[in-house]
Amino acid sequence: MSIQIENLTKIYNPDTDFPVTAVNHVDLQVEQDEFVAVMGPSGSGKTTLLNMMGGIDRPCEGTVIIDGTDITQLTDKELIGFRRDSIGFIFQDFSLLPVLTALENVEFVMQLQGKSRTECEARAVELLNDVGLGDRLSNVPGKLSGGQQQRVAVARALAPKPKFVLADEPTANLDAQTTYGLLDIMQQLNEKEGTTFIFSTHDPRVIERARRVIVFEDGKVAEDRVARAQKPEDRTL
Amino acid sequence: MTPEFTVRLAWRNIWRQKRRTLITAGAIAVALLLSLVMRSMQEGSYSHNLDNATRFYSGYLQLQDSGFAENQSIDKLLPADQAFVERIRSIRGVTIAVPRLESFALGAAGDRSKGVMVMGVAPQAEDAYSGLAERVLKGRYFTSEDEKAVLVGGKLAEYFSLRVGDEFVLYGQGYHGTTAAGLYRVAGIIHFPNQQIDARIVYLPLKTAQALYQTGNQVSAWVLHGNAVKEIPALEKSARKQMGKDVNVRDWADISPELAQQIGLDRASGMFMILVLYGVVGFGLFATIAMMTLERRREFAVMLATGMGRAKLQVLVVLESLFIALTGVIMGLVLAFPILLWFYYHPIQLTGNLAETFEEMGFEAIMPFSLAPELFAGQILIVLTLLVICSLYPVARIFKLEVAAGLKGNL
Ligand SMILES: Nc1ncnc2c1ncn2[C@@H]1O[C@H](COP(=O)(O)OP(=O)(O)OP(=O)(O)O)[C@@H](O)[C@H]1O
Ligand SMILES: [Mg+2]
Repeated sequence: MSIQIENLTKIYNPDTDFPVTAVNHVDLQVEQDEFVAVMGPSGSGKTTLLNMMGGIDRPCEGTVIIDGTDITQLTDKELIGFRRDSIGFIFQDFSLLPVLTALENVEFVMQLQGKSRTECEARAVELLNDVGLGDRLSNVPGKLSGGQQQRVAVARALAPKPKFVLADEPTANLDAQTTYGLLDIMQQLNEKEGTTFIFSTHDPRVIERARRVIVFEDGKVAEDRVARAQKPEDRTL
Repeated sequence: MTPEFTVRLAWRNIWRQKRRTLITAGAIAVALLLSLVMRSMQEGSYSHNLDNATRFYSGYLQLQDSGFAENQSIDKLLPADQAFVERIRSIRGVTIAVPRLESFALGAAGDRSKGVMVMGVAPQAEDAYSGLAERVLKGRYFTSEDEKAVLVGGKLAEYFSLRVGDEFVLYGQGYHGTTAAGLYRVAGIIHFPNQQIDARIVYLPLKTAQALYQTGNQVSAWVLHGNAVKEIPALEKSARKQMGKDVNVRDWADISPELAQQIGLDRASGMFMILVLYGVVGFGLFATIAMMTLERRREFAVMLATGMGRAKLQVLVVLESLFIALTGVIMGLVLAFPILLWFYYHPIQLTGNLAETFEEMGFEAIMPFSLAPELFAGQILIVLTLLVICSLYPVARIFKLEVAAGLKGNL
């Protein structure tokens, strides 16, 4: 798995008096297994970058090549299939479907893929066990805490065995304790499933866990450093 | 996504706002209930009362000579012989066929005269069909042997100051330019609820009328009856096929246009009320569906982002709307059915003015209900049409929804 970003540019309102260059000629490469944090001040273009990597938004210029496919060239319909099969999304506000149980939420995308019921259920149960919610399978989101909901969302993102997971500020709504718990789980799954994780965040706690930190400023990569990988055991609390 | 999963998701989604869904479905249910009760009452009384009303005058159908309708000429007649009767019998669905010879004449008694409507009827058959004998107020009904007997309408009798046993002269034009004239004796005075007819009608035994107009064994019309009002179109088709070109097949609406118009107006006013009712309910349904769409913009964007196709999402929201509508329809049917069933077996008895109006139109003063499946199908079709129209909105919204923008926030 590799993501290759070249010359990626997004300008909002290009034809007006006040065009906003949210992402400005960015080159970037992400490899298999990476655990990457994209940090930067508010308005620096993190969300815009992630959206273009995930095929949710289209760039004005540049390419996003994932395993040899330039996803900027895909049609809307192809993009939907691509997102379904290749990318897991985690949102700041969890965004679980409120009427589905934890188990059904995790099964949802697999259902869209047309996987068999038994396969969906087995994988969903496994993942919910992995995120420590094996005893909450039939709870609807309203009956889960924020941290638990976000863990369900992690399980949902990983369920269809995506090439990588995109998480836009996944811990912004969580307290410190919960954030570390979630990061532990994501790190474990990153190792166990070999799935690439890419976050955007302001949160120093997330940054301290990342093995690679990309600092984003004014739509450009200001810094791209490999951090010392920390094991969950030697974290500071 | 398996259909079962979609159905489950849609069903649970509509109960996220339990009260809103119940109110919307409830409005549909009430509209359905009211429309069904009204339409059932309308159609029930049309078909029941039409059966009675047609017996009295037009029949379901009449066979006439192809030239008769134009100016009711006494020269344009149909045979009444056995061969012709056999042909009528071969029409599928005919249960009763009675002959009538209808024409005009000048009536005279004492020093007064007046144009009257002469109706020659087969005394026994006519009574069996239209209950004419029951309408005799004074005197008696006549038989085929009463060569010189007439029955006159109450108002007409008043005009001429006629009493039972009095003499009455009819004078007019007979078959092919002959002169029709005869002296008769009033056997009975009959009452017609329709005042215009009551002031003009004179009944003669058929043979007497044929002798008066010198028509031989001919009649102006064969009045046909069938099993049920709703079978009239089939009966008419069969009659046309059997009788050929020379015989004009006219239905009750053609012969009694005022009655047809009355029913048409009544039905149209009912339809209009239903239209208004469903218009209001349609707006309610639309508001609910629009809210369900607008408040879930971000949720839809998330579903699209995670790989749900737009078409699948559209199916989901249409299914949600359908479930709300069907909940309403089922509630409405559950409420309406026992009511309709009760009134089907216990028709409303009309009293007072309304009853009189009914009787003057030749209707029985009751309002029976109809349980015709078309009524239910029609109402359900209206609700489903509303649903389709209302569903266009979320379908279009989802078609246009930009995922990135939708994910950002609420608007
Ligand atoms: N739809 C839009 N139309 C116009 N400008 C936009 C739009 N979306 C984003 N922008 C602008 O693009 C720039 C980058 O926005 P973006 O949301 O990517 O920033 P961000 O780094 O994710 O910020 P935050 O940390 O607050 O989430 C901002 O200046 C923002 O105002
Ligand atoms: Mg952002």
